Amino acid sequence: MELFLMALTNGIMVGGIYALVAIGWVLIYKCSGVLNLAMGEMTLIGAYISLTFYSMGLPFLLALLVSLIIGLLLGILTERVFLDKLIGEPALSVIMVTVGLSFFFRGTIELIWGTDTRVFNPPVFSIEPITIGMISISEVYLWSFVAAIILLVIFVCFFKYTRWGLAMQATADDEMAALSLGVSARFVYAAAWAIAFMAAGVGGTLLGNINGLNISVGYLGLLVLPAVVLGGLNSVPGAIVGGIAIGILQNFTGVYLDRFFPGAVKEVAPFAFMAIFLLFKPHGLWGWERIERV
Amino acid sequence: MSTTFLPCGDYHQTYAQEHAWWQTKFIKGKMICLFLCLFVFIPLVANDYWISICNMVGYTILGALGVQLLIGYCGQLTLGQGAFIAVGAYVSTLLVLEFPWPQFMLDWGIAYPVSVLVAGIAAGIWSVFFGLPSARVKGFYLILTTMAAQFITVDFLLTQYVSQIGGRGQAFSLPAGTIKLGPWVIDSDLKVYYLMIMLVIVFCVVISNLMRSRVGRAWVAIRDNDISAEVMGINVVKYKLLAFFVAGFIAGITGAFWISNLAAISPEHFPWFLSLSLVGVILIGGVSSIHGTIFGAIFMVVVMELLQLAVMPLADTYPKLLMDFLFIKEAAFGLAICLFLMFEPNGLAYRWWQIKNYFNLWPFSY
Repeated sequence: MELFLMALTNGIMVGGIYALVAIGWVLIYKCSGVLNLAMGEMTLIGAYISLTFYSMGLPFLLALLVSLIIGLLLGILTERVFLDKLIGEPALSVIMVTVGLSFFFRGTIELIWGTDTRVFNPPVFSIEPITIGMISISEVYLWSFVAAIILLVIFVCFFKYTRWGLAMQATADDEMAALSLGVSARFVYAAAWAIAFMAAGVGGTLLGNINGLNISVGYLGLLVLPAVVLGGLNSVPGAIVGGIAIGILQNFTGVYLDRFFPGAVKEVAPFAFMAIFLLFKPHGLWGWERIERV
Repeated sequence: MSTTFLPCGDYHQTYAQEHAWWQTKFIKGKMICLFLCLFVFIPLVANDYWISICNMVGYTILGALGVQLLIGYCGQLTLGQGAFIAVGAYVSTLLVLEFPWPQFMLDWGIAYPVSVLVAGIAAGIWSVFFGLPSARVKGFYLILTTMAAQFITVDFLLTQYVSQIGGRGQAFSLPAGTIKLGPWVIDSDLKVYYLMIMLVIVFCVVISNLMRSRVGRAWVAIRDNDISAEVMGINVVKYKLLAFFVAGFIAGITGAFWISNLAAISPEHFPWFLSLSLVGVILIGGVSSIHGTIFGAIFMVVVMELLQLAVMPLADTYPKLLMDFLFIKEAAFGLAICLFLMFEPNGLAYRWWQIKNYFNLWPFSY
């Protein structure tokens, strides 16, 4: 029972980070229809930038803020340089541009920061676990979850109550109508990429705090794909639920299935789950099912 | 089917004439020159280094042909071809090393060819298994399932379980002389080269012939509009799965062939990068064209090699460059894909076609 609760809480906590990154992904897809496979590398970039500034002696929150600002600029730059030309191209081209971008980002990251594991030094969060009732959670997980929840709330408020957020919602809903109401679609695309970059950066920084930072943290960024498939590609609440569900699934398989399939079952389980899930409910829990006409 | 230097107008009298491979004497001569060049000239002039580059090109072509068939001809997006290549390589290796072959089969060198065939079929079936969701989903969702194929096959099954068979640890080493094709022991780059050329020619011919048969036309119909294809009486699911099988089969043969070039195989030979770069190859070369596959493979391997040659002299002054070159290559490849998609979305094959047309129509290009 204790094991079960531990796995559940840890799953929810890590899932919060996945949800955060997944929201960035869904945002890009909703606003501009780009299926982004470079998400893993985007988490890495943000994480490495905040780590660099943190090692230079900035306070953690300030380093995170700097990484957010750089993420914003990089997001706008990426959209303007690479994705802007491809509006209206077939889906495969756009997907492959993001794949090309992921190679480019990854090569650049390895060139600048190398492939060794780096840790946040001195550690941002203490190693002592916090005990609530009968479950103990390490502080990193707890703070990551809190940060993820705060950011999720900020995002939701941004979309509901600010002018820019409403413009983005309008574009996602019906681009033509939004354009005729004076919303600049190009601005919205750039904003979506900037927000996604920032969300990925925060997610990456939190993930990097858990086990140190190396190139394989980018693989954790890829876990947003099972999460968004589960929730539905164009649903923000779906991304949150999907992210948390994938976190829980990962921890449960790690705890219960590792005995039967020793090895990397924890890493593969989300993808295996995704493949099976696609067979039965390809549009996810809350995704739109498009009716095709010839 | 090419029409180089055919007079204006349609002079064909039978369908067979229209579908002939080599329609004019010029094309026949050109192809004979090409074969002479491939079989005699290149082995004669190239040193070991360039032969090994050629082998790499051939491997890339073979790997990308399956992707071309799935993406370019049948319209099923895939990012997991590397997994099926890995399945082929591992099945073939395991059969050669672990299967209790009768002694006479070993002596006559039948073991490896048989294992290659079995590897192809095994990889084909494995590919169909992951192609099953294509019955319900398409586009991006299919990318996700094939991606799952990569992670499940290579990162999980091969790394964790298959590598443990026989207690060899991570890598399976292939002792010299194990890979025997009849009386022919494949132990040098040159012999691998001849094997590669044969396979490339055979598979190019097979795919071009498939494309002018009922199967190929069905695939193209599915690519262009699967609902219309279904209305026209094509069994969409069957043909999609057939495409997955053929692509997996080619991948399996590719993997089984590639072990002849490797001293040892391990899961690191088949990373996700391989699957992605094979899709990159067909995008750079040109989708839906066998020429495109070949151009893309040549571009990818040779340009990267030239980049290496260009960078290496600098390594004396900056020793760090030697280590970092892998990363530069990765970034350059990613950038190349992006730039090609942005500025030459039809790929190199289209440019080739334009150049050919220019000379065909010269001096009156209108």
